Amino acid sequence: MRSPSLIGLLLVTPALLLLAALFVYPLGFSLVSAFTVEGAGDGGDRFGLFNFVNAYELYATDIAFTVLIVGLSTALIGIFAVAIGGYLTLGEVGFAVALLRWLYRWPLFIPFIVAAQCMRTFLAKNGLMNNALSAAGLLEPLSAQSFLDWRGIVITFVWKQTPFVALLVAGAMASIDRSTIEAARNLGASRLRALIEIVVPQVHAILVVGLVLSFVTMMSVLSVPMMISGNTPTMMTVDMAFRINAYGDYGTANALGFISYLLTGAVAWIYLRRGVREGPP
Amino acid sequence: MTRGSLSVRQVAASYGATPVLDEVSLDVVPGEFVALLGASGCGKTTLLRAISGFVRVDRGRVIASDRDITDTPPEKRGMAMVFQSYALWPHMSVAKNIAYGLKLRRWPRERIAGRVDETLALLKLGGLGERNVEQISGGQRQRVALGRALAVEPELLLLDEPLSNLDARIRLELRHEIRALQKRLGITAIHVTHDREEAMVMADRIAIMHRGRIEQVGAPETIYQSPQSAFVADFLGASNICDLVLDRSDDEIRIAPGPLNTAARVPPRQAERLNGSAHGPVRAHFHSNAARLVSADSDTDAKTLTLFGRIAQSSYPGGFYRYAVAVGGREFVVDSDRHLSEGETVGISLPVEALHLFPHTGNNEEREETS
Repeated sequence: MRSPSLIGLLLVTPALLLLAALFVYPLGFSLVSAFTVEGAGDGGDRFGLFNFVNAYELYATDIAFTVLIVGLSTALIGIFAVAIGGYLTLGEVGFAVALLRWLYRWPLFIPFIVAAQCMRTFLAKNGLMNNALSAAGLLEPLSAQSFLDWRGIVITFVWKQTPFVALLVAGAMASIDRSTIEAARNLGASRLRALIEIVVPQVHAILVVGLVLSFVTMMSVLSVPMMISGNTPTMMTVDMAFRINAYGDYGTANALGFISYLLTGAVAWIYLRRGVREGPP
Repeated sequence: MTRGSLSVRQVAASYGATPVLDEVSLDVVPGEFVALLGASGCGKTTLLRAISGFVRVDRGRVIASDRDITDTPPEKRGMAMVFQSYALWPHMSVAKNIAYGLKLRRWPRERIAGRVDETLALLKLGGLGERNVEQISGGQRQRVALGRALAVEPELLLLDEPLSNLDARIRLELRHEIRALQKRLGITAIHVTHDREEAMVMADRIAIMHRGRIEQVGAPETIYQSPQSAFVADFLGASNICDLVLDRSDDEIRIAPGPLNTAARVPPRQAERLNGSAHGPVRAHFHSNAARLVSADSDTDAKTLTLFGRIAQSSYPGGFYRYAVAVGGREFVVDSDRHLSEGETVGISLPVEALHLFPHTGNNEEREETS
């Protein structure tokens, strides 16, 4: 009779092979390629940091720009997600809560490229937003300016990713013991204080997971920076696409990829460290 | 200004289309401990939540310390509530939980620390201040919740079944502690419970609720000895029910003798709540502990009613025997020191004073679930 461990191994083998073929191999290949210079000197490949030096010299500003844009977007997403989750949990006007619950998830179902396209027409100098503001008398038409720069990228990211984090956060908020909120309000805490001091600390683990996942997603989006603001400075994904499409320079593109992997890895590490320190909930 | 007084005036509340409170009125004087007692779904928790501001009332007013707070948000009502689930904040230590209300009141840090220490000592939680609230026992958690509520010296202490989640021994201990603290601090308290004994031993007055209304309010002895309705009698343990016939002659009301019972004379006070209809069929409620088993042929006097029946079942819970006695179509549980055999014919002797007489509604099985 075969041992149960052998049967178990056989059962997971297809999944392991798939993982190796579709994930481990391409990732490993691109990592190796980031440290490899093809046909250097004597015609063979050479290992070194040349691609990284190249990436840093050409795109240091874009790397910083990417970190700032994604960092700022993540912070704003956190604030808006908590605000939405908080209103869904603590809101007292039944109609407004129901309306918000119905509306806030919509952007989840819109792809990044469509969101970016919508934002192009919305945020342009003569776009829907400025026209609406002018029509409402809130903006002089002459002083209208285009938001199709870093602000446009941030607005698009926040608009697209907030529902995802809000969905997680609102679910977590709905599952905390409501009497912990009532106990705080009963002792004199306003709804805002109860949200910040009682609700958010109880859901912070889920909030951080949502924000880490959003951070990673935004780091990998090409369409939004490409369509909203492809000019310098721009995001690393645009640079990667450019290195490959224009020069076939996989080395530098992979080096940039490795850097963005380090950035997202650092964010995940901060989260994991926090989890270890606090122990299981 | 009478700090700590509470007046609920004709309050009605509903969840959607379902009415939950129906014109409820209750007055509580400062320093009083009032228990809201009733079965699940009777509206007692809703009344407490209407007082605390978490349930919006449809009609009526809530007045606390001479201030109309009907439309005041919960955080501005100056009350403190203790919850069944403890509702401690898991991300704060014991001391921080207790200090939170004081922080909201902007007390200086040293004063908060002093009050927290006092509260910990008062509730026998000394040395636990820095513990996480998830590392302490259920009884200690509920003490922390109580300390958190008492630390802010609330005008009104609201207790929402605070002892229900605790095991029996801790529950008995905390009952007395809560009562002693409430008396010592002179705080007005409203206590929601479905536990009859808990309400009886803790409260100055008990309000018995049923189907969104207060059926009767009074001191524990009063409502126990003189229930105003069949529901109250039943709920307070007078759950043995027998149908009798009253016979009224000039100045005397008598229980007419029947195949299952002897005759007895009813004092006029006893028949008061029959609203003058002290004639014809009535329904009598009595507590098991008022009944005594006698032999079927023993003599009776006019102040004692005897019901005739047969022992249907016997058991020995310890120290005495417990019998189910079948009288006609009903069974009564009666305890006795004597050993009797199943099937034996016996008499259940009841002092007439112990009978609670109510008009016969005609609905034989109108018994509510009482917990």
